[in-house]
Amino acid sequence: MSGIAMDRRGLLGAGVMGAAAVAGTAMAGPTGEGAMLAPGVSRGDLAGALKAMRAVVGDQWVSGDAMAVLPYAKNYLPDPSGRHRPVGAVCPASVEEVQAILKIANQYRQPVWPVSTGKNMGYGMTSTAMPGQVVLDLKRMNRILNVDPELCTALVEPGVTYQQLKDYLDEHNIPLWIDVPTVGPIVSPVGNTLDRGVGYTPYGEHFMVQCGMEVVLANGEILKTGMGSTKNPSAWQAFKWGYGPYLDGIFTQSNFGVVTKMGMWLMPKPPVYKPMVVRHKKVEDLPRIVEAMRPMRINNIIPNVVLMMSAAYQLAMFHRRSEVTQSTAPVSDAEVAKFAAAHDLGMWNTYFALYGTEGMIAESEKIVRGAFAAIDGEVMTQEQMHDNPWFHHHATLMQGGLSLEEIGLARWKGNGGGLAWFAPVAPAKGSETQGQIALAKQILGKYGFDYTSAFAIGSRELHHIIALLFDKSDPEEEKRADACYRELVTGFGDQGWASYRTGVHAMDLVAQQYGATNRAVNDAIKAALDPNHILAPGKSGIA
Amino acid sequence: MRKSACVALGLGGAVIAALAAGSAMAGQELGQPLPQRAPEKVYASVCGYCHGTNVGPIILGRKLAPALIKTMVRSGMNGMPSFRPSEISDAELNDLAVWIEKSKANPKEKGK
Ligand SMILES: Cc1cc2nc3c(=O)[nH]c(=O)nc-3n(C[C@H](O)[C@H](O)[C@H](O)COP(=O)(O)OP(=O)(O)OC[C@H]3O[C@@H](n4cnc5c(N)ncnc54)[C@H](O)[C@@H]3O)c2cc1C
Repeated sequence: MSGIAMDRRGLLGAGVMGAAAVAGTAMAGPTGEGAMLAPGVSRGDLAGALKAMRAVVGDQWVSGDAMAVLPYAKNYLPDPSGRHRPVGAVCPASVEEVQAILKIANQYRQPVWPVSTGKNMGYGMTSTAMPGQVVLDLKRMNRILNVDPELCTALVEPGVTYQQLKDYLDEHNIPLWIDVPTVGPIVSPVGNTLDRGVGYTPYGEHFMVQCGMEVVLANGEILKTGMGSTKNPSAWQAFKWGYGPYLDGIFTQSNFGVVTKMGMWLMPKPPVYKPMVVRHKKVEDLPRIVEAMRPMRINNIIPNVVLMMSAAYQLAMFHRRSEVTQSTAPVSDAEVAKFAAAHDLGMWNTYFALYGTEGMIAESEKIVRGAFAAIDGEVMTQEQMHDNPWFHHHATLMQGGLSLEEIGLARWKGNGGGLAWFAPVAPAKGSETQGQIALAKQILGKYGFDYTSAFAIGSRELHHIIALLFDKSDPEEEKRADACYRELVTGFGDQGWASYRTGVHAMDLVAQQYGATNRAVNDAIKAALDPNHILAPGKSGIA
Repeated sequence: MRKSACVALGLGGAVIAALAAGSAMAGQELGQPLPQRAPEKVYASVCGYCHGTNVGPIILGRKLAPALIKTMVRSGMNGMPSFRPSEISDAELNDLAVWIEKSKANPKEKGK
């Protein structure tokens, strides 16, 4: 069932070499020096598609020349060959314009890569998994369509940022919280949810609190999921599942449609909010922390996504590497421990919060304190930590507050702004952590990179979040980061630790770890919904 | 029409500009696209989260040339992300660049 798709995949993306040789028609001029075209697409096709798109959205909202494409070329990921740079961009302002653009894309076989706010930082921003694509930039579609203060729901377009939503709630005195990823102001509920991102309040698992979508399919038809296409869609944002197969999932981390509206649930502001951190002094303490935390997460004593931040990651947020070590070798635990102790940080800093009434919080706090007393954790609250910038940062996030402070990570090592997230998943068991840490240090160390990591417990799973930080202004280091990332994917994959999400530079590699049947099913859905492969070829390894 | 009424009332160009900026400050309503934002609002909702919090360098009160600011915003230098016209429109960016150039340092901001 996947013959054509398999051929396409082989042609397009199995490796840089294959794609560069087959698809890499170097192209100077309108779309930038050295830009590569999509396979089977000629310069004339691209030019024709861009011209037709101009007629739909207006000249100013189509980028085709090198200068206009520049803002779309920024990318923290390693991309030594430049194959992830888009060749153009188009910015529709309405669903009708999206439909018209997809019609043109089909006509010219010119692939388009949808983004909502395009700030998938450390996963690709507006760069694309395979060469020669035009970014379908939905940022101008930025209407908040509905907020229901009784049901605590919202319906938004893709270009709505968390900042916009927060401003709207504040300006209208609606006592609902938003839940943000760490970089809320400039990113979007739609983009984040579609990449199955996370935040840090009890509503932190974003796809779990998503409810109803409007999707423009590759053939221009409009699908409303869940209750959205019934005669009275008033329960569209109230009931996730609708009837029959649940479809919303196939539009996340995929290239099966363009999401133009998304419903979401919002958390009522609790009467009391109590952020806390537990400090542990030794790297080896992590398994005990995970064991203590798991039952409290599963029983919902601790209701939010818990972060266990390594000292090295925390230092990289607010300090430069040269403050911590002068060595070019990976920063050592001893160097990190010394600097961390001087800054009131443990080697592991576990952030979580309690939400509810005074009475509820007092009861939960007793249980939490008991659990951490048993494993020598130092439990700290706002009163003790109010001057600590890391505590302030996490206390902001765990109530859906807006911040971009963590972008400081991008300048830990030199000025070049290199950052690639590596995020393998394991069950939330302490025994899983030590092997992962050893393997990560070994692979990163081989390539000369620091181990800057955090672990997150959503519910029953453990995300190991490794920030591969490198200096992108150094071409040799960029190449090394690229090779290092690939070895992380394969090395962890060999142990059964596959990633929950990855950047455009490694999508095919990660897809390989989920098995041939999984890929064949995805290919079959793709062939049925987008037979010309005009939507984001390469996303999640789907051609 | 409106302009002539203002002139008739003796209001100068500066006041008209201020009124226009005032309307640009208005928030977003349901079902409406985000209206053009005044430079203060763009700074507060984007730039100020890094510049002034120890992440990016201080840019207020430094008489930075508008052309430089615009290039930085559109290309994204070093660790800074780029911002596309769909995020910060050309009109917003023009106003923002002039506003930053003319701004006074804000003692509450942290960083170098
Ligand atoms: C320092 C730092 C901290 C971060 N912390 C977090 C964090 O805590 N949690 C987290 O989840 N992420 C985090 N990120 C990663 C990332 O920046 C966010 O996930 C961000 O929300 C994604 O960007 P976006 O919202 O602009 O989505 P977009 O870039 O718009 O979308 C992401 C992808 O989803 C698909 N897509 C988007 N919109 C559509 C659509 N309408 N139709 C079809 N497909 C679509 C596309 O493949 C697109 O590339 C962090 C990044 C950095 C640099």
